[in-house]
Amino acid sequence: MVQKDEYCVLILGLDNAGKTTYLEAAKTKLTKNYKGIHASKITTTVGLNIGKIEITGVRLTFWDLGGQTELQSLWDKYYAESHAIIYIVDSNDRDRIDESKETFDKMIANENLQGIPLLVLANKQDIPECMGVREVKPIFNKNAHMIGKRDCMVMPVSALTGEGVDEGIHWLVDCVKRNSLMRPPKSNDNS
Amino acid sequence: MGGLWSYFRGLLGAREMRILILGLDGAGKTTILYRLQVGEVVTTIPTIGFNVEQVQYKNLKFQVWDLGGQTSIRPYWRCYYSNTDAIIYVVDSADKERIGISKEELFHMLREEELSDAILVVLANKQDMAGCMTVAEVHQALGLEALKNRTFQIFKTSATKGEGLDQAMDWLANALQNKK
Repeated sequence: MVQKDEYCVLILGLDNAGKTTYLEAAKTKLTKNYKGIHASKITTTVGLNIGKIEITGVRLTFWDLGGQTELQSLWDKYYAESHAIIYIVDSNDRDRIDESKETFDKMIANENLQGIPLLVLANKQDIPECMGVREVKPIFNKNAHMIGKRDCMVMPVSALTGEGVDEGIHWLVDCVKRNSLMRPPKSNDNS
Repeated sequence: MGGLWSYFRGLLGAREMRILILGLDGAGKTTILYRLQVGEVVTTIPTIGFNVEQVQYKNLKFQVWDLGGQTSIRPYWRCYYSNTDAIIYVVDSADKERIGISKEELFHMLREEELSDAILVVLANKQDMAGCMTVAEVHQALGLEALKNRTFQIFKTSATKGEGLDQAMDWLANALQNKK
């Protein structure tokens, strides 16, 4: 038996962006016989939710952290061990889109995330009046010099309906595989 | 066969979940246990040994063990680890001096093989005290970022005022149902 490579994906974004709902959607879509927690039962995360899935020959471990301002100081503790970041944006919250972008900029400036693929998800696309990906994309692509050479993609998603979840994860898996020389998969000696 | 078995199990009702309440002495474990069970603040004395009660929360039944937290009896916690579904770890958020010891005990406990599947809930208790640590401070002081393989959640609670316990139990009930 060949051990599958394991990669860690950190799910970040402001509070109420839909990180935990997204994680449940990803687990539901990509795990056989898994029935996710119903969206109405998902509460504010203060701590860590973990998800593990297997896809196209690799294992992904998701870390979903709390997004409240006071908890953002904990994010960087996970950067050095992350192989990719999924940054979730509430596309229906125009009032906080700038705050979301500022938080994103602060995050990508961390040197432990250099070269690490970034997937930005414009979430809540199920709400008719939300910002579309065409509106969200230019906001997050503004500071191209900070993103630098790493892979960065903005995609539309609805964590609630599950639409767009697969596409993003497949893109991310290709990226972490490509990037595995720079950040090799987690060694499984101790697991 | 599996289908038939789960059908019968459904008839009999779900297995009672086993939960341990742990933490240093004076953190508020016994107050929390009886808050959960009778919904009132009871006068407690330091627990030598344990208290065990059946707690019904919504439609779930829990068997909750509250183990004494004094230094000399902490080594006996491990006698209760097997078949534990969840651990409620109680921290006195106002006790900055002993948070380091609390961290050591927590990690010592989590290294145990028998608890590798147990869900962890940390209660940052005594939030009614002035100058107590915030949730983020408790998170950092306990070094919880080192737990990268276990779902956990922290809640701020005040057992004496009854605040925060419902949120914690709601989350725990969901997490336990999901784990099955």
